[in-house]
Amino acid sequence: MTNHRLLSPALLLALGLFWEAGVHLTGVSALVIPAPSSILVVLWSGLVDGFLWQHIWVTGLETILGFALGSSVGFVFGLVLGETDFLRRLLWPYILASQVVPKLALGPIFIIWFGFGITSTVVITALICFFPLLENTMTGLQSATPEKRDLFRMLGATRLQTLLRLKIPSGLPTILSGMRVAIVLALVGAVVGEFISGGSGLGASIIAAQGMMDSTLMFALFIVITAMGMLFYQLTVMFERRLLRGWLKGNES
Amino acid sequence: MAALPPLPTAWLTMPIDTAFLCAERVSFAYGSEPPTVVEAELALKAGDFHCLVGRSGCGKTTLLKLAAGLLLPTSGTIRLDGAPVLSPSQQVGFVFQTPSLLEWLTVLDNVLLPISLKRTVRPTDRTAAAELLELVGIQEHASRYPRQLSGGQQSRAALARALVTAPPALLMDEPFAALDAITREELQDDLLRLTRQRQTTVLFVTHDIAEAVYLGTHVSVMEQGRLRFTTPADFPPEQGAEVRYDPRFSRLCLDIRTAMTGRPAEAAA
Repeated sequence: MTNHRLLSPALLLALGLFWEAGVHLTGVSALVIPAPSSILVVLWSGLVDGFLWQHIWVTGLETILGFALGSSVGFVFGLVLGETDFLRRLLWPYILASQVVPKLALGPIFIIWFGFGITSTVVITALICFFPLLENTMTGLQSATPEKRDLFRMLGATRLQTLLRLKIPSGLPTILSGMRVAIVLALVGAVVGEFISGGSGLGASIIAAQGMMDSTLMFALFIVITAMGMLFYQLTVMFERRLLRGWLKGNES
Repeated sequence: MAALPPLPTAWLTMPIDTAFLCAERVSFAYGSEPPTVVEAELALKAGDFHCLVGRSGCGKTTLLKLAAGLLLPTSGTIRLDGAPVLSPSQQVGFVFQTPSLLEWLTVLDNVLLPISLKRTVRPTDRTAAAELLELVGIQEHASRYPRQLSGGQQSRAALARALVTAPPALLMDEPFAALDAITREELQDDLLRLTRQRQTTVLFVTHDIAEAVYLGTHVSVMEQGRLRFTTPADFPPEQGAEVRYDPRFSRLCLDIRTAMTGRPAEAAA
């Protein structure tokens, strides 16, 4: 176990050294491939002088707002469509169409509607998070076994009780795995949304760094975005573990 | 379909109008498919323990669901305490083939589910549920989650849940089929003790002849949707597990087996 834990960082270190050596030996331009050492220097100074933190804050805020908005609307739509056959048949083609449209292609029109800046990016992010939650909620609601449905009928449960106390809890593992997908997509949505509409944020900074031909800064930003993504993902996993206490307890013994 | 030899018609254990739970010429078919239950006649008086045996797909589970009100007969009537059953009745507890416990609730909360769906759970309900868990022998697992329990313990919790509202009738669908032989015998004895104590009327579906004869005051054989044969099977309860080795017990099992395999059955000795 300890070996495995050490193995992953060791691999990173080895790759970094290999990269560093490769850059120095071949003398490739820093514009094409910067050396890890210079990326780390840029990253460190950006964190120390606060330049990066303001962008991290903007992108983080967009990711969280977009995720919260998109996944809660997706969850509610999933409940409504999962529970009413009529609405599902009526609306499903439109929902599917709205997902097949590349969301980023809608970016320019959002800029006309909501202006440059955070609102447009949040809307794009929310649209991206909407679908995984919608689909997993609809699927999750079907996961209670027929016997458990019969049990709730025998006990005279109302439709709302069956939804709240059987179908949603039964579907929770599926719904939460939709959340895990959505949080990763949310960060992608926020960063790429900033490419189009952002004045600040990590995505906007990448575009700015491109304009200055500063590949080293771009790589430093990649590292920051990756770290944020892993942090968000881990937080979601922790939240999931907490909610699924009862399910997970049985697997210990 | 192979032609079957004539069989004795199901005989009623009593006049139908004194029965607590009865089926009057009940038939059922899913859509336009061939019927799964045909003209079933059944009568249980209060406190009876009636077992339905039959092979897989003979319609016994369908008949049980009809008795529960989970399905409605295409013709005929199910009556509970004189009133026709048109929807799932609160007077009936149902125990399913699988324990069907809710994984996200503790064992105690699972047992309290029938109450918590109706009203706020009071401290007295918790005490009653804890006592019931003690009666089925899993009181020490009250605050654990279903997945932490063995199959037998889960079946015990499911039994406690069905009994927590003290229903006058209990419908059971092969509840012990997945358990090992010893655990199954223990659960059978606990079930008998609890239902006799409370004078619960039980309709119990199983494919195990010995289980039916051991548990039942009456045993009916079902075949291709029809009730073929009904016999009293009342062995005195005080004999306990030894009754399983009584020659009369084996003889009755053989009679029922003969009835199940489709040959004319002799009257029980």
